[in-house]
Amino acid sequence: MTEEAPALEIRDVSHWFGDFRVLNHIDLRIEAGQIVALVGPSGCGKSTLLKAILGTHPPREGEVLVGGEPVRGPNRNVGIVYQNYSLFDFLTAEKNVAFGLKLDQSSLPFRIFQYPRWRKLRAEQMRMAREYLRRVHLAEACGKYPHELSGGMRQRVAIAQALILKPKIVLLDEPFGALDEATRESLQLMLLHFYQENLQAIQRGEVPEYTILIVTHELNEAIYVANRVVGLSRYHDQAEKGAMIVYDRPCPIFSPDDPRDVAQFIEQREELRRAVFDPNYIKHHQKYVTFWKELADQESSVGNPAIDNAN
Amino acid sequence: MIRHPIPKWLFYTLAAAGVAAAVAVYAGLSVRQTWINPTQNILPGIKGFVVGWEEITKPRGNERRPKPSWLSTDVRATYWRLLLGLSCGTIASVLIGVAMGAYEAAEAFFSPVINFMAKIPPTAMLAVYMVVFGTKLEMYIALVGFGIFFTMVQSIFQAVKKDVAADHIDKAYTLGASECEVLVEVVWQQILPRVIETVRVHLGPAMVFLIAAEMLFASEGFGYTIRQQSRLINMNVVYIYLAILGLTGLCFDWLLIRLRRWLCPWFGD
Ligand SMILES: Nc1ncnc2c1ncn2[C@@H]1O[C@H](COP(=O)(O)OP(=O)(O)OP(=O)(O)O)[C@@H](O)[C@H]1O
Ligand SMILES: [Mg+2]
Repeated sequence: MTEEAPALEIRDVSHWFGDFRVLNHIDLRIEAGQIVALVGPSGCGKSTLLKAILGTHPPREGEVLVGGEPVRGPNRNVGIVYQNYSLFDFLTAEKNVAFGLKLDQSSLPFRIFQYPRWRKLRAEQMRMAREYLRRVHLAEACGKYPHELSGGMRQRVAIAQALILKPKIVLLDEPFGALDEATRESLQLMLLHFYQENLQAIQRGEVPEYTILIVTHELNEAIYVANRVVGLSRYHDQAEKGAMIVYDRPCPIFSPDDPRDVAQFIEQREELRRAVFDPNYIKHHQKYVTFWKELADQESSVGNPAIDNAN
Repeated sequence: MIRHPIPKWLFYTLAAAGVAAAVAVYAGLSVRQTWINPTQNILPGIKGFVVGWEEITKPRGNERRPKPSWLSTDVRATYWRLLLGLSCGTIASVLIGVAMGAYEAAEAFFSPVINFMAKIPPTAMLAVYMVVFGTKLEMYIALVGFGIFFTMVQSIFQAVKKDVAADHIDKAYTLGASECEVLVEVVWQQILPRVIETVRVHLGPAMVFLIAAEMLFASEGFGYTIRQQSRLINMNVVYIYLAILGLTGLCFDWLLIRLRRWLCPWFGD
């Protein structure tokens, strides 16, 4: 699988607003099947980076490649789930999920002039949409409008909506930020399930389906749901030039059935807090950027099947 | 108690009482007027209205050239003018309003003229339409259509700008939409309830312009008949016409609300 282009490749991206430098020479590569958490102090440029990946606000310098192709505006290869505004108000849950299929698989003239064929295709799409709603445990909410759903249900629908097109990568910008603790936890479990499905796909020799970049301000959440944590921050030796990636390390993998053992990641959480969030702890910006190296070391010693494809 | 809910039965009883009170006030004034002048037709009683109704519904013309009754002629004339004017105005303002909301170039091009024209009273523009179109159907369509167009286009433009989140547009692109699909499947769907509401709000003004024009220039239609009959102090006919205007207004209003609820169940009330 080494010949596959990486799901996402950010090459030397910089961005600034006026003379306020936000992003400074960002490099990041994410392989298919990785679930990556992006953390950083408020205002460090996480959303700006996501917008660059999405293509709505291209970076001033550098290049973003998705699936090996440069991004030229938002398109079906990158999915997004926002914190708010995540669903179309005028569509029911299942139509929201099927919306991508409709737009991607048919055109306006086709839907008008070949109406019978469109009906048939549509029935197929609605079936698939219901299947995806089942995957996010919302089978019963199919016919409801977004305003009839709770915040957590809406985010589930939004995730199904983004996943159904099987984009190269799905971006989640603080998707659970507005949710209560219990809802949050059940959504985290959902992400863990996706990761397990990825592992199974890899074992079968297939390309894993879920590649996710999730922005969160909850460090526990980052370490719990992701298999890799990336920290973006301007607290480093070149602070005046903008935020850089100052942390990039693997983190423990939980299966959905494991107890949520906070003690297990307390050490990494403190390391992360210091490296990314502590303005007084100034270090060389690459001190904690060791993900690919650690992965290679791990593979040469044991050969971890979990992230085997990622070299 | 402010905003304190009252029982349903009380609500409807009070509503009925309000209507009854209005009728009672009219009846009282009518009786008094008849007492002063037994042949008066300014505030006619029930008998007067029965005569008036017969007058407007009886077929006109003669054996060889029969003509429909006043009422059916006027209903056909007025509501046909209204329907055409309203449709043209609505279609044009949706097309231009959406274009202005979606493309800054269109906004730049149209907004100065539209903002200016919106400030000219449409009834004053009647002078222009009369010269350009004569007193034919086209004049009424232009009057009603342009009369509502300029303000309608402003509210549709606002709806596109405010109701359609930029995030929604970006999201549609990430789901594989083309530019045209964004306009049809996202923008249009999102503003549809606002468009229906805008039509509803503009029904009143449209009727004002139309009746005024009919009073001045028409030879058939509600405005024409009301003016003719009020000059002859046939108020029994005039009041029936006014009541019909009121009732059809309520009816259109109700239909548009039903239409909105049917097309946009997500919009709420
Ligand atoms: N359009 C803009 N014009 C000027 N400055 C901007 C603009 N958008 C963002 N910024 C600035 O860029 C910086 C990064 O913003 P961004 O929204 O990416 O932060 P963030 O990491 O997502 O923060 P948060 O965690 O609070 O969401 C902020 O300091 C912000 O003030
Ligand atoms: Mg942000």
